[in-house]
Amino acid sequence: MKDFGNPLARALNLALIAGAWLIVPGGERGEWWREWRAELWQARHEHACDSRVSWASERALFGFCLGAYQDALCLRRLERRTHPVHRVRFGAAWQCIVSMVVLLVVSYTPSRVLPGVRAERKLARVPTRSGLVLIQDANNEDSPATISSGQYRAWKERKQEFFDDFAFYRVTREKVRWPQHDGSGWSIARASSNFFSLVGLPLQPVRAESGIVLSESAWRREFGANLDIAGSEVQLGSRRATIVGVVPDGDWGLPGKVDAWLLEPESQGTSAGAGYVVAHLSSSGESKVRSPRVQITSYAPHRTPDDFLGISVCHDVPTPLRIFLFAVLLAMLALPAVTSVSISEYSVSFDEVSWKRQALCWGFLAAKIALLLPTAYFVSVGVGYGLTTVTSASATYLQLAVSVFGCLLGMCWVLSDQRKRCPVCLERVAHPARVGQFSRTFLAWSGTELMCTGGHTLLHVPALPTSWFSTQRWMFLDPSWKFLFADPVQE
Amino acid sequence: MAPGKNPDTRLSHTAAMILQALDAGFIYGFSIMEMTGLPSGTVYPAMRRLERDDLIRSQWEKQSIADAEQRPPRKYYKMTAAGRATLESSRKRYPLLERLFPTEEVRKA
Repeated sequence: MKDFGNPLARALNLALIAGAWLIVPGGERGEWWREWRAELWQARHEHACDSRVSWASERALFGFCLGAYQDALCLRRLERRTHPVHRVRFGAAWQCIVSMVVLLVVSYTPSRVLPGVRAERKLARVPTRSGLVLIQDANNEDSPATISSGQYRAWKERKQEFFDDFAFYRVTREKVRWPQHDGSGWSIARASSNFFSLVGLPLQPVRAESGIVLSESAWRREFGANLDIAGSEVQLGSRRATIVGVVPDGDWGLPGKVDAWLLEPESQGTSAGAGYVVAHLSSSGESKVRSPRVQITSYAPHRTPDDFLGISVCHDVPTPLRIFLFAVLLAMLALPAVTSVSISEYSVSFDEVSWKRQALCWGFLAAKIALLLPTAYFVSVGVGYGLTTVTSASATYLQLAVSVFGCLLGMCWVLSDQRKRCPVCLERVAHPARVGQFSRTFLAWSGTELMCTGGHTLLHVPALPTSWFSTQRWMFLDPSWKFLFADPVQE
Repeated sequence: MAPGKNPDTRLSHTAAMILQALDAGFIYGFSIMEMTGLPSGTVYPAMRRLERDDLIRSQWEKQSIADAEQRPPRKYYKMTAAGRATLESSRKRYPLLERLFPTEEVRKA
């Protein structure tokens, strides 16, 4: 079979027809495609006999191919008449639930993708021990690295009343080398070997003479997140150290940005120079020290007492979940001021509706609230931590604001939607009809009437709330109305 | 009653032209387009409706014939008895219809 005309133009023609092919009903696509290909061949044979592009003929062929869309739509219409699809009611309960589930999935996605939100999740993973206090010189609050290693040893050796353990670390900049790598400058925290057990991070006891613990960011950056890195050796100046683990990144509340922690056994003594001392409150200390900042006076034999400042390093930063729960509380308190919380009055007893329908009605309301809350949570986390840095205070406030407004607006919508749903079939009432005149409110009823498309109920919404008709009312329609509704919803 | 069952069915002028073209021996879509001067977006949907109403029926050309002429097989359309009856009544309604195209006999002559 010989093809005519320019191959690119021919491909474009075929692509156009392929687009129309998608509209054709599934069962007829094969034959339709075959016929239109044959007709296109014939058209090209007539209009484009050589390989040169003639704009006039290509325009004619383009018009010919566009006709395929009208043909496909015609077939689709004929198919619809032959096999009418079941009419989908607008505002069905299942549509509402499906829409909310889709919204939940869409709002959840950013919490898995946005870097800020992922960082927040990592931060929440960092386990820290309660009762940790960072001790620093009371006269030099600006620089917390003011405690000498000698002072640390003195505290550690003496029996303490308020603290049961101390750890020391000092941050230095050092060049680190390892095989197949010339080395780079790292921020190294030389820490006492009990550091991780004191702060409460699970770490196996260090068997190597000098163990080094990498931060997660350094592990990913320098070693490409190699899982077999444990046991490898790195060179810090003239000293060799064995990599013994990786700790998650996160704001532990301790000062100093660190790429790795070099654990030095107590027998070797801690490195000279001023550093940070972290202490853990004993049970008696915890009962007596309640303030996040506490003045500490250290007494030593033959010396004048020294004053220090103890600052709690426990995470008192509220987690996103706690912020959200607080926001939900605020939203619930504010809700009655924004909208009416009553669902509605009923002109006849609700007993007309079976208990199953009643349970379904309340279950539907509960399902909407259950889907709304996680959606609002994920949106608030996405906005709060996706747009700001994780340690920023604005992230907390932003999340709180988004949570409150999200929950408030969401609950208003949930209640408003519930008020417009027929208590029998849970479909939204439709066909609003204006009844009466607003100016004659006190002489005759004035408002809007809406009808359940299934023929179960009529909803009266007053135009102006009055003492005798303050909220909307449902009126249950008796079976004599049924003949008006061609396609009643099955009860 | 389906339109095809009633010879008095009133066809649109376009549909009548297509039936007339078929009667004149133009029996596949593109040839009808060329002869009537109607665009593809009119001819093909009209033929779908005529086929639905049993006024015409379609049949694929044998592959061997198409292979011999080095082209894809065509889908040929043919008028049914109901289609002929309807065309006759349409000719009364549109007297100039017969003069639009030469019939097979005229062309042979």
